Amino acid sequence: MGPSGSGKSTLLNCICGIEAFDRGEISIAGKPLSALSQRQLENLRRNSIGYVFQSFNLLPTLTAFENIEFPAQLAGVDRDERMDRVMHLLESVGLKKRAGHLPDALSGGERQRVALARALVHRPVLVLADEPTGSLDTENGRQVLELIESLSKEHRTSVLLVTHDHASTRICDRVISMTDGALVS
Amino acid sequence: MVRTTFRHWRASIGQYLLLIAIVAVGVGAFNGIRQASRAASANFGLFNEAVSGRSDFIIESPSQRISEDTLSALGSLASYPDWHLVPVVEGSITALDEKGEPTGQLRLVGLDLLSLANLPYVAKRPIEFAEEESTWHEWLGSEKDVWLGRGTANKLNAKKGQRISILASGRVKEIFVRKILDDRDLSVSDDLVIADISTAQGLLSRKGEINRVEVVLERAELREDTEYLNGIGNRISSLLPEGLSVGPTKNRAVDRAAMTAAFRLNLTVLSLIAVLVGGYLILQALDAAVVRKREETAILRSLGVNGRILFLTGILEAVAIGILGSLAGILVGHFLAFGAVGMFAETVNALYFATSIEAISLTWKDCATGLLLGFLFSLVAGWLPARDAMQTPPAQILSKGDWSPGFLWLRNPRFGLSLIVFGALALLLPTLSIQGGSRMPIGGFLAAGAWILGSALLSGQILVCLAKFCHGFCQSPVSRLATSRLMDGSSRHRLAVAGLVVAVGMVTGMFQMVDSFRSTIQEWFDVRFQAELYVSERGVTGAGSVNGIDPALLDELLLDKSIDYADVMYVCHAKAAQGITLLAGVDFDAWTGFVRQIWLKPPGTIRPSSGAEPALVSEAFARRFDVLEGGTVELDTPKGPKLVSPIGIFSDYGNEFGTAAIAIDSWKEWTGADRPINASLYLADGSELEETKQRLRLSYPGLDVRNARELRDVALGIFEQTFKATSALNAIGLAVAFVGLLLGLFSIFDESASTWSTLRHLGFSPVQFVLSAGFEGAGIAVASLAGGTLSGLAMGWLLIFVVNVQSFGWTLLWKVPLADFLIFGLLMVLVGFLSGCLSAIHWSRRKT
Ligand SMILES: Nc1ncnc2c1ncn2[C@@H]1O[C@H](COP(=O)(O)OP(=O)(O)O)[C@@H](O)[C@H]1O
Ligand SMILES: [Mg+2]
Repeated sequence: MGPSGSGKSTLLNCICGIEAFDRGEISIAGKPLSALSQRQLENLRRNSIGYVFQSFNLLPTLTAFENIEFPAQLAGVDRDERMDRVMHLLESVGLKKRAGHLPDALSGGERQRVALARALVHRPVLVLADEPTGSLDTENGRQVLELIESLSKEHRTSVLLVTHDHASTRICDRVISMTDGALVS
Repeated sequence: MVRTTFRHWRASIGQYLLLIAIVAVGVGAFNGIRQASRAASANFGLFNEAVSGRSDFIIESPSQRISEDTLSALGSLASYPDWHLVPVVEGSITALDEKGEPTGQLRLVGLDLLSLANLPYVAKRPIEFAEEESTWHEWLGSEKDVWLGRGTANKLNAKKGQRISILASGRVKEIFVRKILDDRDLSVSDDLVIADISTAQGLLSRKGEINRVEVVLERAELREDTEYLNGIGNRISSLLPEGLSVGPTKNRAVDRAAMTAAFRLNLTVLSLIAVLVGGYLILQALDAAVVRKREETAILRSLGVNGRILFLTGILEAVAIGILGSLAGILVGHFLAFGAVGMFAETVNALYFATSIEAISLTWKDCATGLLLGFLFSLVAGWLPARDAMQTPPAQILSKGDWSPGFLWLRNPRFGLSLIVFGALALLLPTLSIQGGSRMPIGGFLAAGAWILGSALLSGQILVCLAKFCHGFCQSPVSRLATSRLMDGSSRHRLAVAGLVVAVGMVTGMFQMVDSFRSTIQEWFDVRFQAELYVSERGVTGAGSVNGIDPALLDELLLDKSIDYADVMYVCHAKAAQGITLLAGVDFDAWTGFVRQIWLKPPGTIRPSSGAEPALVSEAFARRFDVLEGGTVELDTPKGPKLVSPIGIFSDYGNEFGTAAIAIDSWKEWTGADRPINASLYLADGSELEETKQRLRLSYPGLDVRNARELRDVALGIFEQTFKATSALNAIGLAVAFVGLLLGLFSIFDESASTWSTLRHLGFSPVQFVLSAGFEGAGIAVASLAGGTLSGLAMGWLLIFVVNVQSFGWTLLWKVPLADFLIFGLLMVLVGFLSGCLSAIHWSRRKT
């Protein structure tokens, strides 16, 4: 965690290989990122990383169901398996009834829950969550945090959660603080 | 506000220059075509004016020929001091090169050179027809002495004292260049050959015959005095023998201008399309700019900037582009006119009458029209995006709702539907008569415009339905994403589709028109031209230069032993109340018997009115004079007004003025002429076609002897030539539509910036991004193809069954060239795909 502008989002972008960095090294599952080609970085994002954004960033023309299904399609999961996973996740986030809706028709909390399901559908080893509660009211924020906690346990996935408020850190195993682009503790 | 706008201008100066250039090209095309067609048809062929000066009255007969005996009756006119008479004989001749091949058509004008010196105009600036030392009696009565203008001499590469072979009235002759008239400020057109009147008559084999007599007033200062002119006109009129009429020279210019009114109108409509298309591009480009500045606009809005100010700056921007562009366009048009005028003059020559090119003039009216046009179109083009910018919500709520509020109406099918209904109603409008007897299918044009616009607006629906249909089948993330985006059918997608639909509709409509025309003419040829050989004057092309063949020459040819029967045709102009038409003399028994035609109404199915000459008339004639079911038409002839009454109607695609064919004897009697235009030869059994053709060609080098296939090739060649301009226009339309598509896709991707960034986080590769953009472009192309083909079919139907029938008076067989459609469709989808890819590549380059 850290105050706004301290470089949290930038760090996440570096970790998933979208932003380049000058110094230091990032390793995921033992592999250093700087040794990977552009294509390998894409594969990494597709197969090993899930991403949750502050402003949801669902694909506006796809339904909730299709949004969740999309990363699984990209990762090449076959059709039946995909359907199973999506249905299961929809149930877990409590949106089974809203599967056919476009993001525009969903509330903020619902959208973020769809985004969470989307981040997990391809069974990533790491989920990067950039202020997932930043755009939500307290009640919805609480729900989303709880879901992150329970789902990461269920899917055995590590979550790197970025936030600027203390309340969110209660679900975390370890808290790192940042200021001015550097880790402080 | 203005400052931020101009900062954008500076940042993307290239793009704005391009926009200005687009307006310039559109306005330039419109203005250039206007000026060129005016210059090409304004000078309607009083070729002697350069030498004799302007005349005030013209004495002529309805057939444009005055014979010797009539002429002698004019003697009494010559003795008045108030006016001078200038008899003129005029005809086309063809220059031959050393190998005896025709090189160029020239206009031979015969004048009484001796009496010219009396004319007030010539007295002021004498023309020297000879060098100092030689005298007039050297060339007087000569058989071949001619004078060339500097332009003609340059064109023929001729020098003084040179002998040149020419074709005239079917014979090979020779002319001798006595002198080249180095005009001081004499504007002699570059195809003019001047000779003494008797020399010209000899060369044209028309002894004792002239075309007209021009009257030049002695008191030039009274030219504009209407009362004086009327008095003179009446006096001359009272002295004229029967069959001749006199009219102010000015009227003739008006008459001739009216003949080409339809032609020029069509050109204007075509050039308006150029402006329209330019307007569409501006709309797309300005819209792209609005999208690009959306965030900035939203911030300005939340800072409290009034929407109306945003709107005004948008309009200001468009109008600035419009005015700068049309100023440049006026210049462009002026230069374009120089390039196009020759082509137009050729067309006018071929289809209407002999013309020469007048100096191209840029009037204040042209400038004003150009400016107004550019201004109006950029105003409309700027209005929509500006309105869209005005309706941008403040930054706080930008992310919600539709991206482009100003274009929401595109999603409403009501506009499209009402346009289509409007078009159908417009078809009920009667045709508009324009001077000279041409008719303008105003309803047809309105319906075409309304239907094509309507279907453009409705085609968004097709896009959405098609995408929904395909979405179900898509399994790959790329196609899934692309179809879902198309399914959403944003206003911008619809705008891109609309532009393409218009282009596709136009192109496929034209495909049908050209194909229908071609196959109709082919079929007509197969039926109509059953004779073995066809004889006509050689080197002569075009309606304005009909001399006819020297009758003695044709008589001699027809004595050839291998000819069984010759269908000889005589043609001259005739005047009816509604305008000029053609009167033909034909072998009536043969035409009602074994000569084949495509009959709309076979001979005998219509009962002739009693007291009128029975005639076989062309479809154009029947429609124009409203005698499809019989009746009479009064034609003005040198022997006074005569009535013809149709007994049959045949198809003819040769001219839009209509032809009435009567028996040869009546024709000769009515017109006082005896010069045939052409002859179709049926060979006797056992004679060899090729051998006969070669033999006749050798013995009559001044005549064209062709077999049916050659004739057909020549005619189809002319036809393909005429449609060349159309295909050029088609290509431009398509190119513009695709530039529009590129611009459209560009704003579409600009609008979806956050989607692409999300996709990157999800592991979407650049290749996948480009592919999905490609699918999007292809999808837009497919939807446009569907909508455009539908409206294209409607266009084809309109062009063939409404526009052609109403303005030219002929029915064509409707042909839909499926193969062309298919190739065109495949090409379009491919180009759509590539446009998508291209704009995605360009977009991601600019963003990183
Ligand atoms: N380690 C760093 N070195 C230099 N600049 C940095 C560093 N980390 C972040 N920045 C810059 O700081 C700005 C804010 O970073 P951002 O990641 O958006 O902050 P946060 O998400 O914590 O609010 C960005 O412009 C980024 O480029
Ligand atoms: Mg951040």
